Amino acid sequence: MSNKKPRQVDTSLRQFIKDLGYISGGAALLATTPWLQSFTPDKAKEIKSEKARIGFIGTGSRGQYSIHAVLAIPHAEIVALCDNYAPNLKTASALCPKAKTYTDYRKMLESPDIDGVIISTPLYLHAPMTLDALAAGKHVYCEKAMALTMDQCKSVYDAYQNTDKVLYFCMQRMFDEKYIKGMQMIHSGLIGDIVGERCHWFRNHDWRRPVPSQDLERHINWRLYWESSAGLMTELASHQLEVCCWAMQKVPESVIGVGDIVYWKDGREVYDSVNLVYHYNNGVKINYESLISNKYNGMEDQILGNKGSMNLATGNYYLENEESSKRSGIEQLIDNIGNKIYASVPAAGPSWRPETKEKYVPYNILEGNFNVNDGLSMIGALKDGSDEILSSFCQACITGEKGKNIVEEAYSATMLCLLGNQAMSEQRKITFPEEYKIPYMKFS
Amino acid sequence: MFRGSLINIMGTRFDILIIGKSKPESDSLWDKIVSELCQLDKQLNRFDPLSELSLINQNASFKSISVTSEMWSILVSCKQYNRQTFGLFDITLKDFSKVILSESDKSIFFSQSDISLDLGGYAKGYALKKINQYLFNAQVQNCFVDFGNSSILSIGHHPYGDSWKVSIPNPFNPRESLDEISLKDEAMSVSGNTPTYSGHIVRPDSKEVIIDRKVISITSSDPLEAEVLSTTFMIANEEEKKRLCDNFEIKSFTEYFL
Repeated sequence: MSNKKPRQVDTSLRQFIKDLGYISGGAALLATTPWLQSFTPDKAKEIKSEKARIGFIGTGSRGQYSIHAVLAIPHAEIVALCDNYAPNLKTASALCPKAKTYTDYRKMLESPDIDGVIISTPLYLHAPMTLDALAAGKHVYCEKAMALTMDQCKSVYDAYQNTDKVLYFCMQRMFDEKYIKGMQMIHSGLIGDIVGERCHWFRNHDWRRPVPSQDLERHINWRLYWESSAGLMTELASHQLEVCCWAMQKVPESVIGVGDIVYWKDGREVYDSVNLVYHYNNGVKINYESLISNKYNGMEDQILGNKGSMNLATGNYYLENEESSKRSGIEQLIDNIGNKIYASVPAAGPSWRPETKEKYVPYNILEGNFNVNDGLSMIGALKDGSDEILSSFCQACITGEKGKNIVEEAYSATMLCLLGNQAMSEQRKITFPEEYKIPYMKFS
Repeated sequence: MFRGSLINIMGTRFDILIIGKSKPESDSLWDKIVSELCQLDKQLNRFDPLSELSLINQNASFKSISVTSEMWSILVSCKQYNRQTFGLFDITLKDFSKVILSESDKSIFFSQSDISLDLGGYAKGYALKKINQYLFNAQVQNCFVDFGNSSILSIGHHPYGDSWKVSIPNPFNPRESLDEISLKDEAMSVSGNTPTYSGHIVRPDSKEVIIDRKVISITSSDPLEAEVLSTTFMIANEEEKKRLCDNFEIKSFTEYFL
């Protein structure tokens, strides 16, 4: 779009990669986060003069959030908008007046002037729309989760194996600096062996949107009904289970859980309270909890190691037994003398007291200020990786380069969510079904 | 090189490194140090109901209590430091004027019922001063003593350096070093609040609890003075700090705001 000023986003993306150590230790970083390979400053330079032509399918709150983000991306322009709900389409059209509007996404997919589409629609539409868009030769970026059912997930995954088109799902933690750095630290052994994973997401909100008329209830409040939504698991847990597998570098083999409607008994069908235990083959478990009638505990993705704990959402970590494992000043002094080193003894300080209880001191994953997602917004948080993953997708629309691991991670995470729902609904332990395993997944 | 260590003595730990002395010499010196520290612990520990200090605290508000000659000299010295610090150093943490010392029978009496003595800001310095004398008598040339992190005594120098270097970690961020100080034939005392231990430093006249996030380090040739002054400087105002610097021979005084 000609009236669009180049904004700082491109610079910040370069900075993002730079901050992640791409320049100094790029190879090591890219080995562990291969999806960033298509996202380097050099590649950004190559496509500087080009623009990805983007169409939006779904222009509700999340769609509009992404429209704002794409408007700020120099290498993208929004050429089409589609929604079957007129008020949202009108709002979106005001944001990008030059974009052509549609009410039927199939019509929009027929346009040869669109390189890629961004799908922000209810979950049950993700799979059919993604499959249609890929079949129409479009690159596709779809909100999480991947699909409403396991069969749909498998169809999308299979379609992706047979297309040369780019497919992204909004697993934005894969592009969140805190998570990337935190994972590097975990994989370098900072917190020792992973012995447990705890994730939770608490809100105190009914998860409802106001409806202008009752016949729009299922259309607007699609999140509340099983026919269109998989509830808290796909809307919230999918991100967190992805993080757990990313940290463990494998996928849990089974899950048990309980789900209930504890508080919001307003005719909804999906649980407002879920507790699940995912079990890896080595005995490590993911404890997952989500409740939307109390927000005290907020949101956290916590990886527990025998040497420390990583709080990825908060962006800090704690080390176990740091004080007691540290050698005393005099011991260090003796070591130094033994090694003929003249160094200072870290001795002096307010008195050492035998009764002093050990206190954990947090370390920040990133230096300087960084954003922490409090998990309260239904739409999205600032600087949580969403802008970066969108920018990366727009770049891929120009280069045609597939994003490594993104579909596989989204598939694994969504499958775990759906297996969790099955465990809760059937009240039994569910083992990962053989027919849904893909080569990417490691279970042992 | 001889290393001696007591892990729970006078409410904290004690470590010593003696360089250049034979094993028998070091062993014998260490025996003396251990028995001295145990003796002082028995005498000065206010948490031990049988210590001399506890007997004073339990009874001195009812009647005059005769004390041992060592306790007497300690009380007299505390009174002198109280005067010399214009009341800021105060082992009653309240009002030292209510402590009546009688020279004739070396007795102590509290003229107010809620008075008790706490030698927390004194005892380690006192012990180090005595140990310094033992080390001097044994002609120890190079030695490093760490008494509970906060009280350091240095004699001579490190085997590979011309002094003993110590760093002061930030108690609120143990990975950060506030300073590095070279010590040679001098003592250092550090006082301050920590995340898990604060509220123990009280200004006696105003009863104000010092909760500032700061650390004070004092170096002096006299371990006892360093000890007394590090706590005193925590509560002193700017004017008082100047006067303290005039009243005492301090080698260095540094204040770190955290």
